[in-house]
Amino acid sequence: MQTSQQAALRESVPVVSDELIAERAALAGLYRLVARCLEEEPDRELLRLLRGELREPLAAAGWPLSAEFLEDPEDVLLEALAVEYTGLFVAPGGVSPYASVFETGALFRAPCDRVMTAYREAGFDYQRRLSGEFPDHVGTMLGFLGHLSEAEARAWQADDTVAADQARQRHDRFLREQLGPWAPGWCQRAARAALQPFYRQVLQFTEQLLWQTLGEVTDRRGLKELMAQNQREPKKLDYNADFRKASGL
Amino acid sequence: MSNRATSDLGRISRRDFIKLGAAVGGAAGALSLGSRRLMAMEQELGGDDFSAITGAKRQAVPYTCLVCNIEDGGVAFVENGRIVKLEGNMDHPNTRGKLCAKGNSGFLHVYDPDRIMTPLLRTGKRGEGKWKRISYDEATSLLAKKLRDVIDRAQSEGDEAILNEIAFKWGRNRTGGGIHRFMHALGSNTMINHTNICESSKKVGLEPSWGPDIESCDWANTKYILNFGSNVLETAYFMNPNAQRLVDGVVGNKAKLVSFDVRLSNTSGFADEAYYPYPGTDSAIALAMAHVIMNEGLYDAAFIRDWTNVTAEQLIEHLKPYTPEFAEQESTVPARDIRRIAREFATTKPATTFSYRGPAKHVYGAYQEAAIHMLNVITGNVEKKGGYCLPRGMDWPQPQPEPPKGKTASLLAAPPLYPLASHHVSTHAPYMVMKGEAKVAVWMAFYDNPVYTYPSSHVWKSFLTNEKLVPFFTSFSPYMSETAELADLIIPDVTYLERHDPESMPSGLYPCLSIRQPVIKPLGGTQEFRQTLIDVIQKVDPDGSLGIKQYFAFNTVEDWMRAHFDAIPGLKDEGGWDLMKRKGVWPIYGKVDKETAKIVDKNGNEVEPEYGLHKKPVSAADMEGATIAADGTISKDGKAIGVMQGEQSAVGFGTPSRRIELFKQSYKDYGFNPLPVYKRLPSREKRSDELVLTTFKVNVHTQSRTASLKYLAELYHKNPAWINPKTAVARGIADGDLIRVTSGVGHIVTRAHVTEGIHPEVVAISTACGHSAYGRLAQLKQQEAAAEWAQGGDPDITHNVWWNDKGVHPNPIIRLSVDPIGGSQGWFDTLVTVSKAEPGDTYGDVEASVDASVKDYEQSLQRGLAPGQSQGSGHRLGSPARAGRAWRWALRGKWTVVSCQLSVSSSLSELRGA
Repeated sequence: MQTSQQAALRESVPVVSDELIAERAALAGLYRLVARCLEEEPDRELLRLLRGELREPLAAAGWPLSAEFLEDPEDVLLEALAVEYTGLFVAPGGVSPYASVFETGALFRAPCDRVMTAYREAGFDYQRRLSGEFPDHVGTMLGFLGHLSEAEARAWQADDTVAADQARQRHDRFLREQLGPWAPGWCQRAARAALQPFYRQVLQFTEQLLWQTLGEVTDRRGLKELMAQNQREPKKLDYNADFRKASGL
Repeated sequence: MSNRATSDLGRISRRDFIKLGAAVGGAAGALSLGSRRLMAMEQELGGDDFSAITGAKRQAVPYTCLVCNIEDGGVAFVENGRIVKLEGNMDHPNTRGKLCAKGNSGFLHVYDPDRIMTPLLRTGKRGEGKWKRISYDEATSLLAKKLRDVIDRAQSEGDEAILNEIAFKWGRNRTGGGIHRFMHALGSNTMINHTNICESSKKVGLEPSWGPDIESCDWANTKYILNFGSNVLETAYFMNPNAQRLVDGVVGNKAKLVSFDVRLSNTSGFADEAYYPYPGTDSAIALAMAHVIMNEGLYDAAFIRDWTNVTAEQLIEHLKPYTPEFAEQESTVPARDIRRIAREFATTKPATTFSYRGPAKHVYGAYQEAAIHMLNVITGNVEKKGGYCLPRGMDWPQPQPEPPKGKTASLLAAPPLYPLASHHVSTHAPYMVMKGEAKVAVWMAFYDNPVYTYPSSHVWKSFLTNEKLVPFFTSFSPYMSETAELADLIIPDVTYLERHDPESMPSGLYPCLSIRQPVIKPLGGTQEFRQTLIDVIQKVDPDGSLGIKQYFAFNTVEDWMRAHFDAIPGLKDEGGWDLMKRKGVWPIYGKVDKETAKIVDKNGNEVEPEYGLHKKPVSAADMEGATIAADGTISKDGKAIGVMQGEQSAVGFGTPSRRIELFKQSYKDYGFNPLPVYKRLPSREKRSDELVLTTFKVNVHTQSRTASLKYLAELYHKNPAWINPKTAVARGIADGDLIRVTSGVGHIVTRAHVTEGIHPEVVAISTACGHSAYGRLAQLKQQEAAAEWAQGGDPDITHNVWWNDKGVHPNPIIRLSVDPIGGSQGWFDTLVTVSKAEPGDTYGDVEASVDASVKDYEQSLQRGLAPGQSQGSGHRLGSPARAGRAWRWALRGKWTVVSCQLSVSSSLSELRGA
């Protein structure tokens, strides 16, 4: 009897076509976009790309950038986004973007090892740019999917079926096992905490992207399981004042 | 089947097996059966650990703990680059392989998702919580620029006093001189410690008497212990080693423990006899015991004659008023018990006292400590096996060159109205700046959270929020504490398990050095504080033209450590710093015996500590060229180095006469009574509806830093007010009721814990709870507002945080009141009313007035100069020694002479005018 994951793997073996290659390249682009938006604060280059070349494609895809985002002076906007990024993802009290924190409540735990193993298997190492950064950052993980999707597209272009298949399997497994159980739900909560419309949009877009791609690598039953996992919410205690009233140390 | 056919045995049924087994088990010699190779794992006392998954031996890295201040020796077990377990270092002679609950939980600090992992620059208003992350390079450059601006201003105005506007405040400084080096390099003396909210009056009660600031009791070998106001088994200074040895003494050596505390602490609960004195009356009890001992001839006449600067007759005369009946009237402890305990203490040898915050944290706490100390002296228990011993520590050299101190005295660091307060008066800093008595340009804070930990803590919040008073504020905290959240710049330090420090704590009778070293690489590329100091100084003085870069010319932090340890005689031969890295502690005295917990040599014989340190002869080299005065004091180069005892020289004690100076000339010089006295405190004369508010620590928390640790928060997280049943009934209060506790500066709303274990005139509330900052667990913010709180999905909090009560912190309503001798905050002198909560009151409400606290500050200064209120007191103003004496105050670069006969408030207004 095969598991739902094995079935999903079998089903995800693609039929090569120009359309497929274009799709994988496009997916790589999407991953890279959200990875860059989530992994660190925007810089001038990213801002210009979003407000210029990508403005219309984003709007056409249903991601219209706000008037403030489009019109505010660059320096003002970069400062505001940096503050928002820090408050949302870096400073204590933020929505920790690390798989380890989501899964275990502490930094740098087993999920970090798992993603690092996956990076290394695919020939990547990890080098932080600022202190306090770890390999299991959601942005870095999305960036890794971008690399894998691009590698797959290139391999298909070069008719390297083995490499393409390997990249695809790595992509599917990493998406399903490392991001699938938590990242879409995390995006939803982080979007609720975001103050800047830009980050709400990035996070909502990322959530949709993840569900879309997860739907392609998981069968219905697996998807249902992932959805349940992503609905994990901090449990609020049923507070009974009388029960707590006695001082009992 | 064929086997059965050839077997020598017939078929054995299950029943036969069981019968035989029962017979074997019941046989007389059955205990000798079984494997003689296997033993329970617990038989080994530690030092090794193994992965539960792979079975591989884990890397063991020694370190020194710093969850609290006791500096226990620890070993961190590391697997795959992560700390997986902490335990005690078996080579540490004083903590002997044991850590407390706090120490065992310390590694949670490292992986706390609320840890600040990158420098943060404030972008909104102070305290608004808006930050931008920056790199360590950018952060240290910014701080360096702010510091250089002050230096440039001092140079351009030709006024070195301006350098004192660079202020450094710490709560816990275990840098082994690192911060002093940094501040002296910058030319500032404005270093503000936390000691006056800790035990400074204990120190000032002891130091003029025998040199050091604390005692080291030989608990394990004693026969009688008098404990005054210290919760040795849970929290007091050197809790872990003292608790171990106290249990050894009481259980192993059948010592009697008598405890005095206003609350039934676990130490009092463990005692043979426990008494609940009225707060602040310990010295009345101790002096009454001394009265009995002296008047009944139970004292050690030879010790008083040879080793003190008073006579027995002087003491008898001085102690006349302090009868047991007088003490009963003041303390409520029965006179007959005081008399009996005094006799027992004097006639049971050896014996010792121990005291900590209970007596010392009152106005005039220095007198209380001196009175307790005197009991050991008059009974000759000093430096005896099983007695009251000097603390034993070791020193280490500072790397050379070393910067000189700043050239101008700092008012903030040492308020001059407290000339005897050698550990300073940190509580006064914000008030002094608010009143214009001192100025700040850059404020730096390290291991410091006064917005939570200080009395009238709301004043610190008001002070640090004010950008006019504190133009630039840098915190080095790795946690978003109530204080760090007010900073302009946070340059996060690493945790204690990721950094270097030299250590030597007198936590037992075996002097030793120990180290703190990174047991893992600083997590996530964070930077240890010592490296930040190096970087900042090198940026303040990039070309060396200021002449201060040379003091931080370390290539690495480890080079700095080597400069401390590689030149120590003895240690150098054994490997210096490299040995310290391997062992964590030096010297190694022996092994811990599994049965007795004593330190033993390779033959199993106990390695006894050295006793009678004061009797050690002065070395021949020191005697060369020394002079001997008529009273036997040996001096050299203008300094007393020993005392003659008959024909023999002895190093004696760390005082001008090298004897124990029960008569303290320094006290007399400043108009205080040179001998220990009891002073009736205002809290002893309260209205009948008032109670004395006291605070206490618990065994699983420090004052403020541990509320974010999951293991510890689960064990203790709420702090209802302890109140006696009689007191509660009189106010219509039942257990668990919501109550309002009101002092002169404000009120809190908390719950009542009605218990017999508290003096009827006292209400006691623990520290460590009621945080408004310090992360999701300390604040229980996740529970308050799950939707808003950025949960990060922490499953441990989601599923395991079953409590819904973070407690209520009492510090905002505790009034500032300082001991004019020792400088200690009178933590246990605040009077309150306790009533049922009023309509509209909500659990956790806190209201406190800054204006009312500023008035307390003014009154506290005046109280220091008010006429004495009780017998036996020669007070400052009344003392002829004080008349006409003048102090020089350095203020804004000018020397101002102020007559001491001015009242404080007029002095301050005159100074402001100057």
